[in-house]
Amino acid sequence: MSEIIVLEAEARDRAGKGAARATRRAGRIPAVLYGDKKEPVMLSLDPKLFGRQLHKPGFFSHLFDLNIDGTKHRALPRDVQLHPVTDEPLHVDFVRVTAHTKTHVNVPVHFENHLASPGLKRGGVLNVVRHDIELSVSADSIPERIDVDLTGLEIGDSVHISAIKLPAGAHPVIADRDFTIATIAAPTVKTDETAAEGEAAAV
Amino acid sequence: MLSPKRTKYRKAFKGRIHGLAKGGTALNFGAYGMKAVEPGRVTARQIEAARRAISRHIRRVGRVWIRIFPDVPVSSKPAEVRMGSGKGTPEFWIARVKPGRIMFELDGVPVDTAREAFTLAAAKLPISVRFVQRLGEEA
Repeated sequence: MSEIIVLEAEARDRAGKGAARATRRAGRIPAVLYGDKKEPVMLSLDPKLFGRQLHKPGFFSHLFDLNIDGTKHRALPRDVQLHPVTDEPLHVDFVRVTAHTKTHVNVPVHFENHLASPGLKRGGVLNVVRHDIELSVSADSIPERIDVDLTGLEIGDSVHISAIKLPAGAHPVIADRDFTIATIAAPTVKTDETAAEGEAAAV
Repeated sequence: MLSPKRTKYRKAFKGRIHGLAKGGTALNFGAYGMKAVEPGRVTARQIEAARRAISRHIRRVGRVWIRIFPDVPVSSKPAEVRMGSGKGTPEFWIARVKPGRIMFELDGVPVDTAREAFTLAAAKLPISVRFVQRLGEEA
């Protein structure tokens, strides 16, 4: 299970873009906490503290204890809006969860044993089809990451979800097909370049 | 070089590039990307030069994705021709790039190699760019 992160937040009273912009002008990040059939609460976060968590692996699969003016609320980050150019967080959505809430979470995939794959040793490329997998899981047992073992994989081989051992109680949201997580592809760059050079020589 | 297979109209207005990119601002394929931080017109030749710079640097490993496409024809008049007599003939193709647009993506290489490859590629482009990484994978 992933660790629970405590994050300080302040309540703000007004909703809407004017209030959100005012919060940003004050040097904080506007956020909202909703769900669990309760009234939504408007928040503001400290950009430094939040940025530190945002850039850690598996941000969306970590539970947060939001400390709003002294009261703690357990929540999962649902969405982060980023500035298109600077990638600074503009707004954050949190959804309330309890220990037994069944939720959909994107859990990051971690690949291991690259050197034990003959395909990668021969110059193959690990083509990651899914960097994270959406799991249906109860909030108190969200896995930190999903480990994919690359041992013995040749060029042309692929890793499907059926080959992954998921933690107890976790199911992939895509249940109707055995979807691909990664493939070992032949190096495309070399053929690409020779083709381009051939084209240049022909001109 | 990249160019459209067929177009509805042969010639386009010059246009102006206003605002920030509305889509294509996040990494969709690779682990690393090159993001435009200013607006500009990137020619098919410049895209190809940048792609080659990346592929040469990463050698046989890795994979490159090009996230922009030059679909705007640019026309010009021949030398020593008097003004008038209509618009010139289409000479080359450009992509209009807005700030925030991911132009290239790269995967399957270490972060230092990717950074260096994008620095070399950026030298082929007419706009300033920024190196970006997938959220949660920054060192």
